[in-house]
Amino acid sequence: MIFADQVLFRGSVYSGVEDDLKSLFNVAVSRGYRVIGPKLVNSVIRLEQLNDFNEIPYGYGDKQAPGYYRVVNNGGRFRHGPDSPKRFLYPPELLLFIIRPDLSVEYPRFEFYKTAFFGIKPCDLAAINVMDGVQGELGDEYYRKVRENLLLIVENCVEPGDTCFCATMGTGPFAFKGFDVAYTRVGSGVVIFQPGSDLGVDILSELSLRPAEDEQVDFLRNLMLDASKKARAEFTLENLPETLEMGLDSEVYRKIAERCFGCANCNMVCPTCFCFDVIDEPELDGSAKRIRIWDGCHSYSYAQVAGGHFRKSLYARYRHWVLHKFVYWIRQFGTFGCVGCGRCITWCPAGIDLRQVVRDVVKEVETRCRR
Amino acid sequence: MQEVVRTPMVPVRAEIVKIVPETPDTKTFYFRVQGGLVEAPKPGQFTEVYVPGVGEAPVSICGLEDGILVQTVRSVGALTDYLFKMREGDLVGIRGPYGKGWPIEKLAGKDVLIVAGGIGLAPLRGVILEVERNRGKYGKLTILYGARTPSLLLYRYEFDRYREIPNTEFLLTVDHPDETWRYHVGVVTELIPMARIDVERTIALVCGPEIMMRFTVKALEQIGFKENQIYFSLERRMKCGIGLCGHCQVGPYFVCRHGPVFPYWLIKKYFWVDEI
Repeated sequence: MIFADQVLFRGSVYSGVEDDLKSLFNVAVSRGYRVIGPKLVNSVIRLEQLNDFNEIPYGYGDKQAPGYYRVVNNGGRFRHGPDSPKRFLYPPELLLFIIRPDLSVEYPRFEFYKTAFFGIKPCDLAAINVMDGVQGELGDEYYRKVRENLLLIVENCVEPGDTCFCATMGTGPFAFKGFDVAYTRVGSGVVIFQPGSDLGVDILSELSLRPAEDEQVDFLRNLMLDASKKARAEFTLENLPETLEMGLDSEVYRKIAERCFGCANCNMVCPTCFCFDVIDEPELDGSAKRIRIWDGCHSYSYAQVAGGHFRKSLYARYRHWVLHKFVYWIRQFGTFGCVGCGRCITWCPAGIDLRQVVRDVVKEVETRCRR
Repeated sequence: MQEVVRTPMVPVRAEIVKIVPETPDTKTFYFRVQGGLVEAPKPGQFTEVYVPGVGEAPVSICGLEDGILVQTVRSVGALTDYLFKMREGDLVGIRGPYGKGWPIEKLAGKDVLIVAGGIGLAPLRGVILEVERNRGKYGKLTILYGARTPSLLLYRYEFDRYREIPNTEFLLTVDHPDETWRYHVGVVTELIPMARIDVERTIALVCGPEIMMRFTVKALEQIGFKENQIYFSLERRMKCGIGLCGHCQVGPYFVCRHGPVFPYWLIKKYFWVDEI
């Protein structure tokens, strides 16, 4: 759990204005970073390469709810869209190698850029840390090469969205660790900056800021407390893995399966889901490209083998996803697999709310235990 | 500047040097892997077999003979169908061996009970050959093997050899006998009470369809086997073979990396939950 005091007094807090954000952007560019940040594309806020600070759609807001996403030009604040840093660190499609009929192999070459994520949210920062746990263990070389040269500039969330539950997962709405620079747009054109690493101090020192006033710090603390009250689910992390494991046979999963399409949208928008398939793309000369593509545990074929199927029922595939995120992940990689970003809720075509699913399973187990 | 990105999921060239038809839908392939395997395979481990332009599938290792990898394959899907059309001299890719095999070191001084169903004998063949090779190291060997019909039994040409291993009991059963069948008729668990098993000193190794393994575990527990005396090999979709791709998870375990051979006690909690 993150406490406001820990965040604010851990590092120094500086005050600036919105133009300083632009300067921060330009410092990153001048240092040779490819800057990836929020950009309005076809009425959706995507993460894209930005050439100019003004491409960031400040002034646009969004409305997110289970199965609902709309961008609105209302002078409000937008949250994270469907993209997460995963798209860049662990691409949806990656050529692994080309193999010829004589089984000789050619490895691909890729251009690796120093990459700055500008304005990603604390949940996505946390997701990078979760992915580090997975890929650190498993050691994907592409991931490592992108990860080595990342600059992480995080925008704290003053107004979490209606599908957010980062405060419950302990990952937000304010960045706590693992970032280079964090900033908060506190309103009236004022921006509060905090360095989170040596690189962050170095980069911030190129700006011209001033120490935040005591009143500003107090104001920031109140924003933080208010925001973290919003970004909550109706369950807590206390004994959560143990409780969920006592509910392996919960009826809740079967009820959800009546609405779930098994489309795996949730897997695709999840900033930590790492499962992949490898497919062959045959070429006319007899060689084949072996390509890694994202796969998701909700897909029908996920646990299917030739001549059998180990998770044919949709409820079992949904259950596996929940248990992996909140139970197995801890045993495998030492963290929860969920960061509470809520993308799986927003982008679920059936509007299934993961927060309610977890809450309901916990309730069912607790009721059973009291009997 | 461009950089080369490598992956551990790269197959090594292997030549098919011999193909032995086993049953109407299984064949045993003998692969000569160029440069040899990275490590000597242990019974119960598996490899990923790659057919160029088609794909990869996990196949259990049935033996290593003079450096030649022996793997029995059942034709059940696109990849194995294609593999069945290949001939001696054709090239495939092999990577591995992967996973944890049978607990050979724990079998020393113990009686060994093998319960296999259908193609489930394939990953256990290596254990039988190991007992034959180092006969003095192990106690009594009991092999209980069942299939749906006599024609679906693997390695029939070796059965006499298994019977000749000293201190070995070899019982067979089928669900549907033909007119020549001289052995038991029924499911493989029916052989358990017929065999002379000294439960106290026995380790059971089980492999077959999941439903057969569940009944076998129940039958073994009924005659007094403890959870730490039973091992089985699980089948799952082991796409990458090295714990990266996620497909083969059973509870928190990656079958490809933490298994495919598991001690029963380790996954008891998940073993009985349907579609976990």
